[in-house]
Amino acid sequence: MSKFKNHNQSPDLLKKKYIFQNKMYSLIKYHSKNSIDYGNFIKKTNYDLKNKKLELFPFLPVRIFKEKELMSVDNNKIVRVLQSSGTTGSKPSKIFLDEENSRNQIIALNEIFKQIFKSKKRLPMLIFDKKPNRNDSNFNARLAAIHGFSLFGKDPLFLIDEKNNIKVHELDKFLLKNKSKDFLMFGFTSIVYEHLIQKEIIKNMNKEFSKGILIHGGGWKKMENLKISNYKLKETLKKNYGLKKIYNYYGLVEQTGSIFFECEKCSNFVTTKYSEILIRDRHFKILGKNKKGFVQLLSLLPSSYPGHSILTDDIGEIKINKECECFFKGTQFIIHGRVLKSELRGCSDTI
Amino acid sequence: MNNINFLVGKKTFKKKLLKPYDKEICSFLETFSSELNKVKNLNLYPDIKTLSFFCRAKNIEKFKKNFFKNNIDLRSGLGLVFHITPSNVPINFAYSLIFGLLTGNSNIIKVPSQNFVQIKIICDAINKVLKKGFNNIKKMIQIVRYQDNDEFTKIASLNCDVRIIWGGDNTIKKIRSFEINPRAFDLSFADRYSLSIINTQKLISLKSFEARRLAEKFYNDTYLVDQNACSSPHLIIWFGENNQIVKDKFWLNLSNVVDKKYDLTDDMSMDKYTKFCKEAFSNKLGSFKKYKNNVYTLNLRDIKKDIDLLRGNYGFFYQINSKNLKFLNKVINKKVQTLTYYGFQKKFFQKFFNNNLLEGIDRVVPIGQALNLDLVWDGYDLNKTLTRIIDIR
Repeated sequence: MSKFKNHNQSPDLLKKKYIFQNKMYSLIKYHSKNSIDYGNFIKKTNYDLKNKKLELFPFLPVRIFKEKELMSVDNNKIVRVLQSSGTTGSKPSKIFLDEENSRNQIIALNEIFKQIFKSKKRLPMLIFDKKPNRNDSNFNARLAAIHGFSLFGKDPLFLIDEKNNIKVHELDKFLLKNKSKDFLMFGFTSIVYEHLIQKEIIKNMNKEFSKGILIHGGGWKKMENLKISNYKLKETLKKNYGLKKIYNYYGLVEQTGSIFFECEKCSNFVTTKYSEILIRDRHFKILGKNKKGFVQLLSLLPSSYPGHSILTDDIGEIKINKECECFFKGTQFIIHGRVLKSELRGCSDTI
Repeated sequence: MNNINFLVGKKTFKKKLLKPYDKEICSFLETFSSELNKVKNLNLYPDIKTLSFFCRAKNIEKFKKNFFKNNIDLRSGLGLVFHITPSNVPINFAYSLIFGLLTGNSNIIKVPSQNFVQIKIICDAINKVLKKGFNNIKKMIQIVRYQDNDEFTKIASLNCDVRIIWGGDNTIKKIRSFEINPRAFDLSFADRYSLSIINTQKLISLKSFEARRLAEKFYNDTYLVDQNACSSPHLIIWFGENNQIVKDKFWLNLSNVVDKKYDLTDDMSMDKYTKFCKEAFSNKLGSFKKYKNNVYTLNLRDIKKDIDLLRGNYGFFYQINSKNLKFLNKVINKKVQTLTYYGFQKKFFQKFFNNNLLEGIDRVVPIGQALNLDLVWDGYDLNKTLTRIIDIR
């Protein structure tokens, strides 16, 4: 373990990182053998396959999944295609999942969830969304999240009807039945924001939510326009609804399953045994703690497509908070938002 | 009409003709040049500095001599020129206007809808100069800014004698759907492609300050406009013996200039890296090397016909070694505009183009002059294109 001279991390964590690194290394070798595109990419990057250091592992930019359909298994093994919503005017990302990869996503999500919520039995659940159409094999990030999280709930109630209205009557019944025991609430951040803060229908019902555990995440693009901080959102929800437990999560549709929950105490996101984070400057040099840069995410889950090491369009920062117990669980980090778009100069089209 | 800003000139616009290179025109441009020199913090705007230099008395005099030297015929402006200028170059519109004025025409200029500070500076300067007199010139300039106003485009198109459309192929197609007079014509500067050729032998003996100077010139041709101008090179031909050390030195020098001068954003880094990955997947190309995220270079094994698809932005270059230029016969197509060079005599190209009939390349200029707009552009001599001959026998 002498390789790791990082005094900012506990021995247990260093051991975890060592194991992670080896697994990641095998995954890189696997994908370079099984995806011709990825194999070509590895050759061009001049990455030395003998090199096992995490920081030296190659990474694909997240935008490439919009440009190219990448697979590390035969086409006929694909059972599901995950799609990002895609900004207006741009193509969506496409992520190709086989049986095994889909299953591993669920297993990982399940494990991450249980570590945080510790509850053994499935809890009653409210979902801030419309009921998805089960027959759709083309999933987007939202449906994937709903699908994943609804597995932890008992008879989930989809709160929003086809006309984007709250099912007031059903909600009333649900709360009457469950308000005295723990129950789960889940939704995309932007949708939770819309129905619990912007609109006042639920607020005006004046109901008891203190036993609710709210999990929200995603929906970044919409939230950025609203310019409300995570802290403010949390405080407002606590004040208005008496909610006590609110968890924000962060993740990529390109790495579904290995998501990051925010620590209840220090509010940092924390990596798990499935994931790791690195921060890079604009020349892709590694940055240490407390420095803003590109977020590179590594996940052990992607097996049917080479999404195991991705340079995202997000700007983040690694934090070290030894006081908090999450310090012993993984790398702590925060997210600042998306990379700003640059305006291309030159004599192209006239507007 | 709604949503139209008249930056120079009034809503009601009567056109006026003057003789090409008329005294009033030349004097107006000279006064304009000195007005630009008075701009506060001029050093912040190298493009305005260049424009002012372009309009200085000596240069205008040179153009004038050139015009009368080559034109034994009696010539007159065509009338009204409607200029549609590119959205992402702040001062192209000013050059377009100057070309129209010098040839004695009246001008309606549509400037980019984006609020470039340079546009305001230039229009303020024009307005100041026009207050000093120049009663004829007042009738020859109308500068407008508008977005989504087809009505204005329609009327200006119907009234003009020449419509100059600075590209984007899509823009040209769109503008062409507006009718012009049967006698009028479109002068369209479409999307073009450009490349460079460097004599490796000549680089070996360069002193380090000369090498840095060359890198700066190359920077001005490319990064100043995000490598997205028609005349910015995308492909470098290394002429002569292959010499990796010389190439590395050139790119390193360039990377240093980029460090000093360029505002490389996160978005640009991502864009270049994504472009590289796309190219890497196909494995059609040779090896790759980058100099920080400032300069990306990709070696070509050979060049196929569609050379103009080898295109990068923000400092992304393709390169190939070659001992002679014969292969250009096969790969240069109509899209290719400018060839910039280092380490050659003018004669070398005169001989080459005399002996080889290529489909493209309208311009061969030393590295550092790629963006210098001139009255000869894209293969046209605007002195001739924007005037008519009065044939007296």
